[in-house]
Amino acid sequence: MSFYEQMMNLDRRWVYLIIGIVVVITAIVPFDVPLYVTPEVQSVYDFVESLNSGDILMIGVDYAPEAMAELHPMMYAITRQAFKRDVKLLLCCLHQNGPGMVEQVISQVSKEYNKVNGMDYVYLGYKPYPAITILAMGQNFRIPFPEDYYGTPLDSLTMMRSITNYDNVRAILNISAGSSTEYWINYANGRYNALLAIGVTGVMTSDYYPFLQSRQIFGLIGGMKGAAEYEYLAEKDGYISKKKDQLSAYKSMPIQTTTHVVVILFIVIGNIGYFMSKKKNS
Amino acid sequence: MGTEEIIWNAIAVFLTICIFTFLYKDNPFYKFAEHLVVGVSAGYFAVILYYNGFVPKLIVPLRHGEWIYIIPAILGLMIWARFSRKWSWISRFSLAFYIGSGTGFAIALYMQNYVIRQLSSTMLPVGFTSWQLFSNILIIIGVLSALIYFFFSKEHTGLFGRTAKVGIWTLMIGFGAGFGLTVMGRVSLLAERVIFLREYLLELKYYLYLLFKHGLSL
Amino acid sequence: MKKFPCPVKALGLVKRKTHLFTPLFFLTLLLVSKAIASESPAEISSSTQWFNPLRINVFIILILFFTFVLYFIQRAKKGASLFVRRIAGLDAIEEAVGRATEMGKPILYISGIEDMDNLQTVASMIILGNVAEMVAAYDVPLLVPVCLPFVVTVAEESVKQGYAKAGRPEAYNRNNVRYLTSEQFAYAAGVNGIMLREKPAANFMFGSFYAESLLMAETGLSTGAIQVAGTANIHQLPFFVVACDYTLIGEELFAASAYLSREPKLLGSLKASDLAKFLTMIILLVGVILETLGVTKLTSWFFVQ
Repeated sequence: MSFYEQMMNLDRRWVYLIIGIVVVITAIVPFDVPLYVTPEVQSVYDFVESLNSGDILMIGVDYAPEAMAELHPMMYAITRQAFKRDVKLLLCCLHQNGPGMVEQVISQVSKEYNKVNGMDYVYLGYKPYPAITILAMGQNFRIPFPEDYYGTPLDSLTMMRSITNYDNVRAILNISAGSSTEYWINYANGRYNALLAIGVTGVMTSDYYPFLQSRQIFGLIGGMKGAAEYEYLAEKDGYISKKKDQLSAYKSMPIQTTTHVVVILFIVIGNIGYFMSKKKNS
Repeated sequence: MGTEEIIWNAIAVFLTICIFTFLYKDNPFYKFAEHLVVGVSAGYFAVILYYNGFVPKLIVPLRHGEWIYIIPAILGLMIWARFSRKWSWISRFSLAFYIGSGTGFAIALYMQNYVIRQLSSTMLPVGFTSWQLFSNILIIIGVLSALIYFFFSKEHTGLFGRTAKVGIWTLMIGFGAGFGLTVMGRVSLLAERVIFLREYLLELKYYLYLLFKHGLSL
Repeated sequence: MKKFPCPVKALGLVKRKTHLFTPLFFLTLLLVSKAIASESPAEISSSTQWFNPLRINVFIILILFFTFVLYFIQRAKKGASLFVRRIAGLDAIEEAVGRATEMGKPILYISGIEDMDNLQTVASMIILGNVAEMVAAYDVPLLVPVCLPFVVTVAEESVKQGYAKAGRPEAYNRNNVRYLTSEQFAYAAGVNGIMLREKPAANFMFGSFYAESLLMAETGLSTGAIQVAGTANIHQLPFFVVACDYTLIGEELFAASAYLSREPKLLGSLKASDLAKFLTMIILLVGVILETLGVTKLTSWFFVQ
């Protein structure tokens, strides 16, 4: 086998080993990487910044633990920013393995800012069939969610007295790892004209740029890079603190950088091998 | 971290390493971790669905005398007929209702959001006097050539065929972007796991240090 | 087959047969009743309306599109010749079957991990039937591991009919169509195992795939099989493109099933969508020219408020 064919047929376990070593070394010896903020993340941040005390922001949380790495950081950053600005949060979950994700964030962050359930935030809980739930919420939140996650009837919650449907929330932020984003765009924005921004995993990001361009969504936080940008902005304005280790996406950026460099090198090696062996064979 | 957290996180570390062993070869440790996650998530989903879907949407209304909910209950039971070769035709009624109503809701909105809105936002002014106008030209060319690629009523020959080739190049550039973002997504998951392992080892080291210093009172 | 009475005819509104108009009547009724339930925009005081005039453009375009679909389906049913170009991946299927015959190795067909309510799985079953017909003629084993129980029955039927059409019903082996598991990665592991043990000469992957797509495609690549894949799941297309010899991208999967089956509804829908695409291109070009000249009337008409 020629050298170029060997390059092309490199055992994938060597690739795994090299990437593993690079990731471990970068995790042990981190360094700062410069970060620039993209307009689509800036627009989400600016929108939350523009909210006044008492405004209601809805967050649709539709992800499970497998997407936690990318989406939890943006969830934490947005929640901290909102609570610091005394913005009220209305949260719901449309992913079956996601209720614990919301509970983890909201219980931790509400304690940090002394926020009270029912007055400063309401967690509606989980309901199956995202399309039907999103459509029903457009009529009245009480149709799919007569009670909140903790079993309290919505009508007995102080915050819910002024809220009927999407018309009473300033915007919806959908943080999602699945197909529910499509339903939020089609039904919440398409049917009810609710202002919508999304935070999605890296895999899904490229699918939603057309909706950003057509202004069906006003912001897009894409993957861990998007989360890192959001954390960078939030840290600059004091909503989160590096000292309290609240920048989990931002501190993963060195690992992203080094690993991507290695992946690009392997792609170049593989392509050189491909073209040279093709040239040799012809 | 308290003792409980150390123990629970130790299990998480063990399962993480079990999954990573697949990178070398399939083995019983990987199979165990995979079957565990599949079983736990299926069981968790079943319970969540029962308490968040079945109970509030069927049991509670029936208890309150709203007997109309019997109809969707029967439709739901009819779907179970799918498992019988002889009676599987019964499930078609429920499926027809479900697919029909879902399609009815979706068709107009998908046309509105995926076609009409996209079409109107793609009608952009073009020119060479600014970068924005020039990039609009690239968008229009990409959209038109990709649409031509997916045109099945004419053979891809001549000018039409060359334009379709531009379309497939546009698609491939898009796939490349998607591929790159997917790599970023997968690396994020790996990075988070490695950071978790690192932090657990640091916490464990500190815990063992305190354990030996203060005895088993922790 | 007993026909339902046409309500339009029953109402005495139209004197002749109106098979085309009956669906249109119900469609109009559906759209109007849907509009009844729709909310008016936030800035206008909320009250239920019979018709949302702000969405008239959506209504007109939908009616137009449905007319195209029904028209072409009718034409296809009447036996009109509707041209659909040959899709490159389909030639690759024949080539792969030929290669498998020469090597004396089996062919592996994977139909995705979604159920029969997913259109991609339906398209995959149609292609499976045609692959079975090709394979039957050459006496090559066709292995079909399936992810979901309901799909097994459909796959068995497709393969059996394919063999019967080729005049080789006795060659059909029911054990070759088997249910593995409904769990995504366990199914991928099972398929990988089949690839490594049986070493098929050709792998066909048509249907709806998710993260397991690269696992299977890469394993197939490592065994040296010729691979043809097709899916409408955009995230998985890059992986199929790099790991497979031919890939049917998105709508090509449905076009392939229409091309192979010549089913009037599939052909009619395909031709209608082609006409819609053609009109879209014309409108887009006109809109771009007008926008460049500063005329925004056309863009405004398409704008959904």
